[in-house]
Amino acid sequence: MTATVSLERASLRYGDILGLSPTTFELPDGGGITGLLGPNGAGKSTLIQLLSGLLPPSGGEVRVFGQVPFRNPAVLSRIGLVPEGDRFPVGLRGHHWLRMMGELSGLSGSHLNAAMASALTAVGMEVNGKKLFSEMSKGMRQRMRLGQALLHDPEFLILDEPFNGMDPESRLQLMELLRQQALAGRRILVSSHILGEVAQLTDRILLLFRGRLLAEGSVAEIRELLDRHPVELRIGAESAQAVARWAVEHDELVALRMEESGAVLAVRNPRSFLPKLQEAVLSGALPLSSLDPIDLNLDAVFQFLTKDHA
Amino acid sequence: MPIYAPSLPPRPALDQGLPAALVIARFDIRRVLKQRVGRFFGFMFVGSLLIQLATLYVRHLLKTQSAFGGVRDFAAQVFTQGPEFHAGILTMNGWLTTLLWFQVALVGGGLVARDSLYRIRPLMYAHPVRPLDYLAAKGLFAAGLPFIILLPFAILPWGMSLLIAGTAGPISVWAPLYLVPSALLIALLMGAVTLGASSLAASPKAGFGWVLGISLGANALGGLLSGLLHQPAWMALSPQALVQAWPALLCRVTEPPLDWIPTLVGTTVHLLLWTFIAARRTRPSEAVL
Repeated sequence: MTATVSLERASLRYGDILGLSPTTFELPDGGGITGLLGPNGAGKSTLIQLLSGLLPPSGGEVRVFGQVPFRNPAVLSRIGLVPEGDRFPVGLRGHHWLRMMGELSGLSGSHLNAAMASALTAVGMEVNGKKLFSEMSKGMRQRMRLGQALLHDPEFLILDEPFNGMDPESRLQLMELLRQQALAGRRILVSSHILGEVAQLTDRILLLFRGRLLAEGSVAEIRELLDRHPVELRIGAESAQAVARWAVEHDELVALRMEESGAVLAVRNPRSFLPKLQEAVLSGALPLSSLDPIDLNLDAVFQFLTKDHA
Repeated sequence: MPIYAPSLPPRPALDQGLPAALVIARFDIRRVLKQRVGRFFGFMFVGSLLIQLATLYVRHLLKTQSAFGGVRDFAAQVFTQGPEFHAGILTMNGWLTTLLWFQVALVGGGLVARDSLYRIRPLMYAHPVRPLDYLAAKGLFAAGLPFIILLPFAILPWGMSLLIAGTAGPISVWAPLYLVPSALLIALLMGAVTLGASSLAASPKAGFGWVLGISLGANALGGLLSGLLHQPAWMALSPQALVQAWPALLCRVTEPPLDWIPTLVGTTVHLLLWTFIAARRTRPSEAVL
């Protein structure tokens, strides 16, 4: 299988500061969404700058569509970038801005008009696209940004923190829009520092931390990491001692913390522990009134991985 | 032949439109035309031009109508003749160039700074736009704006002079040959300073401050050095002085404010310095995502 993106020990330095350690990964051809995850300063924007041809790597090799993207119009015309941020010049109308971006991609005349109409329809901004940016909601502005990236019908879309500051409804709409674009055959890279939103969206995740690629894989593969990672469960019960007595008999227990209304258990391999817990509750051996998984999600894996590598 | 993902529709035809530099420059021009400040300066420049044309007409009447014989000698003193008069067409004793400095500072100060503030540059560079295209677009606008404004001042009085008095008019038949190059040099100087200053600024307002700061600061420094060292050539540090010097030199004024060599050196240094700064500040690596 050929790759839309391939990095071979690609690294980037800003003077003495290492923005991205030697990194190797591939994004396959064809439609699909990849999440680029990491906290602020992890190197997500650096990686995006490399992929979108803004900077050349300090070492190694970056290839997009089999070519070096840096200042390469042949590659850039096949990439759509939605940079981070939500600032637009005062007095600027959406369709004027869209037209300029289309022209910068090399579109003109009827092709440009058709591309604008198509992009505005794709992002649901046919009616509101002529408004001033200052009159648009944050969600609308983000749709316009995505619209400009779709204008020249790119095969590879890069979105840098697209959900920042969006309300839940706009976020869901944008996610649906991205899913549609992926189904249409586009490879999409979405960067975020919030795992929950990317977990709802993506079939593949790259975890970055302090300029290093920590993990790479599908959501299912990442979930496998949960089994190695101690998961915290808050168990509500009238007698915390009873919970503690039951829990200490199991090998999966790593740590135990007593609370007023129950206990917090840190357990390894929740896949084997949870059925035992269920059985104990059903048989009446464990007087449980509530069960609250504190960190049984991707955020926990992220914390787990980043702690190990900090 | 490129192969695309099978589910994607055929890609639109690219590489058909205007060059990227012209697209960006046109976008800036449209933006300026919508600004109120553009209308204000338009009124001021048109007013100045009309005053100049009216002055020319009055001069013609004084020369040709016997009824004005009584005031002819007085008028000859007020309206000086010769190269100074020709050079003054483009500067209007400093009024026109001062107004122009304010205009380019207000409009051009935000030329690059606005893109920095709103992070537009990384987006542009993610399209098939080279840094040279961007710089050319901004340079074209920065120098084109003062040139377009100065051009009527260089051409219209000359045309009117030809129209009302033929070759015997107050303005030499050959005037455009030195007024248009003067206008071009003034525009290039103002454009380079504006471009460099704007690239140093983080916002359009700061850009306005940078343009005026550089212009006035260099003028003060040039004045200080030329006064202290008793060498007027130091005034070539000042873009304002250079702007005054070019029409005087090209119109062969007997006592120009600056000689040829300092003017040439000063202009070259300013053009190279500010273009270099703008080029450095608008590189893709400066376009932080």
